[in-house]
Amino acid sequence: MPVDDVVLATQGDTAAFERVYRAHMPRIFNLARRMAGPDAAEELTQDVFVRAWQKLSLFRGESSFATWLHRLAVNVIIERFRTLGTQRERFLADSEAVLDVAPAVRTKHMDLSMDLQAAIEQLPDGARTVFVLHDVEGYRHEEIGDILGVSPGTSKSQLHRARQTLRALLMKKVES
Amino acid sequence: MSDRKFGESDHEPLKGDDVLKQAIAEWRDELPTRDLWSGIQSRIDTQPKTTARGITLTLPQLAMAATLLIAVASGLTWMVAHPPVATSNEQVIQAYGNPEEETQGTIVQANFADAQFNAAVDDLEKILREERDRLDPRTVLIIERNLKAIDAAINEARMALNDDPANPYLNSHLADARRRKLDLLRTATTLASAGGD
Repeated sequence: MPVDDVVLATQGDTAAFERVYRAHMPRIFNLARRMAGPDAAEELTQDVFVRAWQKLSLFRGESSFATWLHRLAVNVIIERFRTLGTQRERFLADSEAVLDVAPAVRTKHMDLSMDLQAAIEQLPDGARTVFVLHDVEGYRHEEIGDILGVSPGTSKSQLHRARQTLRALLMKKVES
Repeated sequence: MSDRKFGESDHEPLKGDDVLKQAIAEWRDELPTRDLWSGIQSRIDTQPKTTARGITLTLPQLAMAATLLIAVASGLTWMVAHPPVATSNEQVIQAYGNPEEETQGTIVQANFADAQFNAAVDDLEKILREERDRLDPRTVLIIERNLKAIDAAINEARMALNDDPANPYLNSHLADARRRKLDLLRTATTLASAGGD
């Protein structure tokens, strides 16, 4: 990603920002798909880039642009969960109950990745977020704690339960 | 985001034969089913950007700025349409006086200072070329873009002065643009000499 395009976009050049979007969209789209599911991923990707456009001038180059954008994307997606969670009251608070009663995946077994996508959608938003950020995106528990406003211990506990649930669901599919 | 490699968890690492680890490894990327850019573009065209200093103008402030802009533009238009009329004495000086002895009351032509201006610009540009590696590439890019814009303004003013060399507005505009170019070059060379920004 040429740094020039980020600089030009910061100065209001929408053509440069489109190039920035084209370069980073796949990673952001897949982050959104994994964290929020395929139905919400496209709209969330658009929200992320609109937010990035608004906040570009705050990018100081202290981290790489990709890292800055990734963190911004995580925040946008979590904000969405929180908005929905306020209505559903289940972002982190009662995720344990949901994990305990997570139903078996009903789709036909095709391959593990398809099963994982279906299984992860059974997780509550908070547990799914911790699992994706830690096991897929490589964040540490301390970083996840900062992002979610919880302790690293809570993040570890969420990850443990998310993995247990996912393993159980995947094993069911493999055995069937 | 940490530099931890995939699967190297700091809490219960996933084992190699773990069905979950295999599933994550097989979890491939996908692309959206439609082009998302048009939706983004329509939204960013209508939304204000946050500036670095977080400046936002209220409606009364915008109205005041617009009024000021109109006043300045009107003043400039009036100056161009009504160039100052020299007194008869000044007219004699301008027509017959020795320019080396008398400058008061005459219109100072822009090209009088061309040699000094060009020499100063050449010096500063040379320093900047030699020191530019010490500046952040983004700073260099911004400086170059601004210099180009100022050069364009200088060229436009010069071309207009060819047709109307006595126009006070154009002369003042050219002097302004030159001053801005020198200021920018001085700032850039100072930054570069100080070891970057």
